[in-house]
Amino acid sequence: MIAINNIHKSFGDVAVLRGVSLDVASGEVVCLIGPSGSGKSTVLRCINGLETYDHGDILINDARVDTQQADIHALRTRVGMVFQRFNLFPHRSVIENVMEGPVYVKHEPRQQARAMAEELLDKVGLNDKYDAYPNQLSGGQQQRVAIARALAMRPDAMLFDEPTSALDPELVGDVLTVMRTLAEEGMTMVVVTHEMSFAREVADRVCFLHGGTIVEEGPAKQVLSQPHHERTQDFLRRVLNH
Amino acid sequence: MILADVFSFLPILLKAAIVTIEVTVGSLLLSTLLGLVLAIMKVSPTQLLSVPASVFINVIRGLPIIVQLFYIYFVLPGMGIQLTAFQAGIIGLGIAYSAYQAENFRAGIQAIDPGQIEAAKSIGMKGPLIMRRVILPQAIRITLPPYGNTTVMMLKDSSLVSTITVAEMTRAGQLLAASTFENMTVYTLVALLYLALSLPLIFGVNRLEKHFGQGNRRRDK
Ligand SMILES: Nc1ncnc2c1ncn2[C@@H]1O[C@H](COP(=O)(O)OP(=O)(O)OP(=O)(O)O)[C@@H](O)[C@H]1O
Ligand SMILES: [Mg+2]
Repeated sequence: MIAINNIHKSFGDVAVLRGVSLDVASGEVVCLIGPSGSGKSTVLRCINGLETYDHGDILINDARVDTQQADIHALRTRVGMVFQRFNLFPHRSVIENVMEGPVYVKHEPRQQARAMAEELLDKVGLNDKYDAYPNQLSGGQQQRVAIARALAMRPDAMLFDEPTSALDPELVGDVLTVMRTLAEEGMTMVVVTHEMSFAREVADRVCFLHGGTIVEEGPAKQVLSQPHHERTQDFLRRVLNH
Repeated sequence: MILADVFSFLPILLKAAIVTIEVTVGSLLLSTLLGLVLAIMKVSPTQLLSVPASVFINVIRGLPIIVQLFYIYFVLPGMGIQLTAFQAGIIGLGIAYSAYQAENFRAGIQAIDPGQIEAAKSIGMKGPLIMRRVILPQAIRITLPPYGNTTVMMLKDSSLVSTITVAEMTRAGQLLAASTFENMTVYTLVALLYLALSLPLIFGVNRLEKHFGQGNRRRDK
């Protein structure tokens, strides 16, 4: 479904990704963990073409992600993205945020788009907030709207970039619950997270990124409980103890 | 000030006030349209668009408005472009102010959180759609207070078109004063009429600034 093949990426002189390869099968949930600056966000941003890469290939259902190509917009609709800071459209109501893509990108009839948006908002637990504006919602509610907005495009896969790290601790649970439900329904997901318990429970596979390469990967329980690599052990000791 | 004078001058000045309003509204529309186009060109990643926009904006900003008006009214006819004083006034003032409007709009566009553009891209939106649905609606809110201030300045600077014989308020005042020698009465009336037009605008702008200054923005954690 998503095939990342030895991608490299530099910002100026700084090599940020140095040969990252990762295959994500349909229905699989992969968590990316790693220290700050290790390149986790950059990997996600390359997958849906928000960032270019210098070498290698990224294929989504066998179509190459290339920001120079005209099909990049269509490709982006196949992969939903959820950002750390939500990035909802502040000038549109909750339901309009969710309808924006179906109506203006896919040109679906408003009625149909509205029905689907309501269904998705109900699913993320916001059936009473259709007409609220983003600034009237808590961070956790905003993030759930953002998830609904991405799902409204009926993507084949979802990318999450630290979706709960801008949230107050008591709001994290609701967002993780929504993500867990998605995973159970068979959504293909790549999740950058510091929520180790989420990774342990939900992820099929965990990849530990360090210095722009995947240092260790494997089944969630194995990587998180019995990491082989010293760097992984260090990292996990630090995040679990703080 | 003699009341009889006031009553005989006022109708003339009020008629001229209409011209002042027409010139202001006309050049406001022109400068808004042109300013918006220039701003979008200027933030474009394509140099073919951004460079000409920058050059145009800087040249216009570097020229006194009166010189621009003289150029349009006195020089263009020599090139076969005939304009009435009224048309030349609106076009001159409109072009002169388009540079300031463009800067207002550009600042508004660039104040938009880049995350907004990424979110729009991530649901498959293309550049022009992002501009129309995501950037401009937000930029307009940010731009509204400076836009109001620019409008107040345009209202006052519409007096400049008196130099190319447009019969707006300042020019009507000059003519009245020259023929009656009632300088005090005439110019007091002219000043009061300008204030009658500008003060409501200024209050409106102040309210806008209050409205957009607090709340009504995204609550970012
Ligand atoms: N636009 C950019 N220009 C220059 N350097 C960048 C840019 N974006 C990221 N970087 C650098 O690339 C490196 C990897 O960044 P990235 O955001 O992918 O890390 P991350 O693993 O997501 O970290 P964090 O956990 O802090 O989010 C960092 O050193 C960062 O400073
Ligand atoms: Mg990151």
